[in-house]
Amino acid sequence: MLNIGNEKVSLCSGLTRRSFLQVGVAGMAGMWLPDLMKLEAQGSVDGSRARIKNCITIFLVGSPGHLDTWDLKPQAPSEVRGKYNPIRTNVNGIQICEHFPLMARKMDKIALIRSLHHRTGATHENGQRWMMTGHDFNADAVKPHTGSVISRVFGPKSELPANVILPGPIGNTGAGNFHGQTAGYIGSAHEPFFLGADPAAPNFRVGDLEVPAGMSASRLDARRELLGQLDQLQRRTESRTTQTHDSSYDRAFRLLTSQRARDAFDLNLEPARLRDRYGRNTFGQSCLMARRLIEGGVRYVTVNHFDTVFGQTCWDMHADGGGLNNTYLDYERHLCPQFDWAFTALLDDLEQKGLLQETVVAVLSEFGRTPRLNGRGGRDHYPNAWTNFLAGGNIRGGQVIGSTDRIGSRPHDNPIEPPQVLASIYHGMGINLDTTTMPGPGERPIRLVEAEPIRQLF
Amino acid sequence: MEQRYEGTPQAAIRLEGRRLIRSDVTNDWGLRLQWEVRRNGQVVATINARPDVAYEHSDTAPGEYSVVLQMWHYINYAKNPAGEFTASRFDNISNVVTYRI
Repeated sequence: MLNIGNEKVSLCSGLTRRSFLQVGVAGMAGMWLPDLMKLEAQGSVDGSRARIKNCITIFLVGSPGHLDTWDLKPQAPSEVRGKYNPIRTNVNGIQICEHFPLMARKMDKIALIRSLHHRTGATHENGQRWMMTGHDFNADAVKPHTGSVISRVFGPKSELPANVILPGPIGNTGAGNFHGQTAGYIGSAHEPFFLGADPAAPNFRVGDLEVPAGMSASRLDARRELLGQLDQLQRRTESRTTQTHDSSYDRAFRLLTSQRARDAFDLNLEPARLRDRYGRNTFGQSCLMARRLIEGGVRYVTVNHFDTVFGQTCWDMHADGGGLNNTYLDYERHLCPQFDWAFTALLDDLEQKGLLQETVVAVLSEFGRTPRLNGRGGRDHYPNAWTNFLAGGNIRGGQVIGSTDRIGSRPHDNPIEPPQVLASIYHGMGINLDTTTMPGPGERPIRLVEAEPIRQLF
Repeated sequence: MEQRYEGTPQAAIRLEGRRLIRSDVTNDWGLRLQWEVRRNGQVVATINARPDVAYEHSDTAPGEYSVVLQMWHYINYAKNPAGEFTASRFDNISNVVTYRI
């Protein structure tokens, strides 16, 4: 942690909007071009053949019960099948929960993966790390977020950072601080940029990204010089492989002074009707901002649906009567409708903007929920089986990959693990996983992820 | 970061025969949107209004029917021991239409 004036600036756990602007991005301009050019030269990355140019990940913090959402078992005993009925979708033979009526009309664009599972403990953080990084946890070598890897391989397309997380980082989910939303060992140049503000707030203004009133050009230049010195200091604390080639803060200042970059964050430029269509709430407006950022040149946007599982509505349906008291009522009145509304708006909007074919939308979560309802009518953590899904890009929609047994307790066929999902995203973006490596701890080259893509997706 | 909801949702509904038609919702919070149907003052149905802008209630029991569009208003997730929300509630967001069978 660096302190600049009164401001604490995190170096290893994500950059806030303010610290991004104050510290810059540690030479964002320096690293990626050589990486990309080198990888292209050796045939590891073929960006021209990649149909996925961008990725939006919607992370359903808390994790929906698979048996109550996208893998219903209407023939199972009542203590398993739960409360909801399946409805037909626009793809013959695929049914989902009745509380996703709009998503049901878009199933031809969506590939459900119903056989996800992981083999580590049933904590939120384990699942988050698997789905954000594709790796198990190792405190000595914190693995990078997928968006940070994409930042490292491809670099930015515009003044905007390559990897953005909205609206803010995942906070307390019960068992530690490592959620897989940092650049880890690949260095601070690729830390996600956290908006750190609520885009649904009435007072949310893109002015937060503007040069403070009264700051003259000479003061700005003086600050730039100071930050350049801090950059030198920071570089000395990082290993050679995570250093950037330049000590430039140009990109941070370009973001600060670029109208185009500021506009990407300005939801007031969208028609009111479109803002309504996403939902006038934190999640919906974050999804809309994700589309704007992709349009503006961000490569990888993660939208965290909630930042905690405690004391508020979220997917973590324990129904415990205390601080984890989400129930079926939260699902049917709040969570499912909110997701259904925003997710389908995002697909429609990307399509209308001509961006859907080059943007994969991945809806991910930590795990599933117990097949049998607990004594209070809730479901608890269950990493042995769950459903996530992808759409857009070159994903072949209208299909179900894998299945679970008759009570949703185990994969029945084609079991899929989280690294395979991330390998699929990398593959879709034109990255050859066999020849592309990252400098790991101690500068040892390591694979991006130890898995093969799910070929059926493409 | 607690989820925030901006503005106040509003819509207009009208009756064409017994078919209900709704406008788009302005300041739409994106939460559960439902037709609340009452007969002689008693709630007889709450129907998801998201899938379509039109709905025709199939009940033909004689009586005075009134229909309004409602949206879930999340305030917090507190619930009583019976599991019902104590603060969050459904709000009426439209005019009320009535018809008699």
